[in-house]
Amino acid sequence: MIRSRLACVFVPLFPLAARLRSEPDLKGEAVVVVEGNGNAARVLTASRKARLSGIEAGMTLPQARALLPRLAARGRDAESERAAQEALLEIADGFSPRVEDGGDGVVYLDIEGIPALSKVRARDVAPATLLPVIPRSPRRGIPSLPAEDATPPAQGLPSSGSLAIARDDGGEGSERRLGCDLIAAVEKAGLPARAGIASSKLAARVAAGLPDSPRVVPPQEEAQFLAPLPLSRLCPEIEIAATLERWGIRSIGDFARLPPGEVESRLGTLGRQFHAAARGVDPRPLEPRLPALALSEGMDLEWPLVALEPFLFVGNAALERLARRLEALGLAGRRLELTLKLDPDGCDTRAISLPAPTRDVKTLRTLVRLELEARPPGAPVVGFVFAAHPDKPRRAQLSLFGPPALSPDRLATTIARLASLLGADRVSSPRAADGHRPERFAAAGFEPPAPPELARAPRAGRGLLAVRVLRPPVEVEVMTSPRPLPVTGEDRGEGAFPLRLLSIQSAPGTDPAISGAVRVAAGPWSMEEGWWSGTPAARDYWDVELSEGGLYRIYRDRAGGAWFADGVYD
Amino acid sequence: MGASRALDLERFLEARGLAKKPGGDLLSGLGARLCRASELPSPASGRAVRPTAIRPLDRLLSGGLPEGSLVELSGRRSSGRFSLGLAALAAATFAGQAAALVDLGDHFDPQAAEAAGADLRCLLWARPRRVREALAASEMLIAAGFSLVVADLGLAPRARFLPDAVWMRLARAAQAQGASLLLSTPWRSSGIAADAVVSAGARPVWRGGGAAPRLLAGLDLRLTLEKFGRVTPRRAESMSLSVPEAVGSQLSAFSQEKPSKSALVRLMADS
Repeated sequence: MIRSRLACVFVPLFPLAARLRSEPDLKGEAVVVVEGNGNAARVLTASRKARLSGIEAGMTLPQARALLPRLAARGRDAESERAAQEALLEIADGFSPRVEDGGDGVVYLDIEGIPALSKVRARDVAPATLLPVIPRSPRRGIPSLPAEDATPPAQGLPSSGSLAIARDDGGEGSERRLGCDLIAAVEKAGLPARAGIASSKLAARVAAGLPDSPRVVPPQEEAQFLAPLPLSRLCPEIEIAATLERWGIRSIGDFARLPPGEVESRLGTLGRQFHAAARGVDPRPLEPRLPALALSEGMDLEWPLVALEPFLFVGNAALERLARRLEALGLAGRRLELTLKLDPDGCDTRAISLPAPTRDVKTLRTLVRLELEARPPGAPVVGFVFAAHPDKPRRAQLSLFGPPALSPDRLATTIARLASLLGADRVSSPRAADGHRPERFAAAGFEPPAPPELARAPRAGRGLLAVRVLRPPVEVEVMTSPRPLPVTGEDRGEGAFPLRLLSIQSAPGTDPAISGAVRVAAGPWSMEEGWWSGTPAARDYWDVELSEGGLYRIYRDRAGGAWFADGVYD
Repeated sequence: MGASRALDLERFLEARGLAKKPGGDLLSGLGARLCRASELPSPASGRAVRPTAIRPLDRLLSGGLPEGSLVELSGRRSSGRFSLGLAALAAATFAGQAAALVDLGDHFDPQAAEAAGADLRCLLWARPRRVREALAASEMLIAAGFSLVVADLGLAPRARFLPDAVWMRLARAAQAQGASLLLSTPWRSSGIAADAVVSAGARPVWRGGGAAPRLLAGLDLRLTLEKFGRVTPRRAESMSLSVPEAVGSQLSAFSQEKPSKSALVRLMADS
């Protein structure tokens, strides 16, 4: 049987740790990471100082602020977490070639036979014979090393990790030293970490979650290690946890002692799997992530090329080779990098991001052509290298009864051509944005969902009148009544007063031109937004119908008093 | 004299043997037959249609936008054509089809489109600055396989005269891909290339006045089918568009039909 040993590195309170890695000034402060907006935001994780003040996960932000008014609150930052996870994986890659991404601050490493472990063992073997045998804890099955943190080892003697080696315990000491090295490396990257080493992923993960870290579980002793721990360490389903609570079962060992058949008959398949986990049985293998591949093809030219067509002719062959290699791997290019060697020296590197992974040579060649046409290199080309960053290809599933899906390759080419024609920021998929300013919008990359399997019947239109938004708003001159009408009814707010609008005229040369006498006007309606920000908006809106027939939405900027038209009802 | 009057006069003379088509005898001897273009089957007829979910427009176009055709919707400012374009996009994206909006003038409001029922994930938004860019973008999007492309040429595009070949090219691209191209223009532009031309005119509807606050309620639209295939039917439909924010907009949204009792009860409960 092949013996495998796995290490698990775990970053506790990962969202907070990732945030503090991005904002180190907040370390030592009372900080919470919240999820949600406004008063509905809930505390996800809290720093130690905040927890000491009574703040717990799940509280709303106002509740937390009531306990600690000077609490620093930060929203969950997906980008910080992604970067922290990436850093964690890079560190793990430095220790082992087989690393699994466990997500959210968890990384598994296969440490069997890795050079770092061998080095530690070799370093520790020499003084082994001089040292006494350390009694093993009968319950947990791990060496008792209480003095490690309290008293440093004597000069000339190995550390406590070496003590385990001294009694020939199968390498637990060296594994512990490896765990210390892992923790030190992760902490150097700005993240707090714990480590656990065991023969299964489950035991390693549980060991990493314990406070005294690193924790080493000797081989074949997973069940003994897990037995005294509370059941919550295995994170059971809520229903199963409630059932076991009623049965009076508190620890993992209590649960593991139940007959497996009886457990399955009462708790079902999920209960059987959970019971196996309690007995330390975890059949899940390590699933190492694929290293970031970059396939490259290129050539040095015998003569400098100054025109685009000859370059594309020779470049096409390289792209075809690249596409064949990608096809052999079952992958497609998500990003294409082009490096041009220039005459007499220097190089020009550019990256082409593809909206969808593709290995279609025609698409790639078109994108290269568009890129080089948009930004030609400044000198003759004497060599080139295409590097493709692969990804899994996106497949278009044809539907018998639903609407047809777009071809990912054609879509990628079209979006790239549109970006070249209009500008990358002018081709997108729109998204609704929060706020009240009519001109607001958000944009995202166009990645349409898979079409429905069955064609949906169209629903009746809602018959809503839309507004053409004028971006930017058109400044207009508005003639108003010289005598404001008396205010009647309820107070309409500061700065809002009834006006009689007579005519509107935009400045000559503006697009669109707006001019005419006001036939009907309705308003004002106040809009205030962003008073807390550097770009506040305080406007009074009117709907006006002009004599030329247009129906406009205009506003008066309260700050400057200027008038603008920001929409046409159409 | 309008075209229809001229045709009527020609038929009248032919029926009485007072007028003959030049070359008619020569060709009829070979078994051929001369006929008018208007008598040929319409290219748009018999094609599958893509409903816009705006019933008056669908009725005018015999069910919706014909697939593989160019439909021009023309109208001056505040004629409601922008709302109709959004409604067509909402209907297509709700059905799970990928649609594209070529928005010359950058007038699109995602919030309004979402309120109209559009699935924004299925919508590609291109914002050209010039008419030529808009037309090129439209052709690319049709070629990419988008089932519906709405090309909105804005309020008053600053473009010189565009030859018919430009529009013919767009119409051919739409025909080849089976796509529907809805061209929204401030005045008739596409010449003979469009399979259908609908003109829109509108009148604002205000509510209130006097002591009551005045509110914009919406637009009353009149859609006229100027051309369908090779005929000029001159059929017209009326409809209403409601301002979403206006009180009672839900009631106006039912203006195509008599509001149901449940809708009225819901409206009263909401207000």
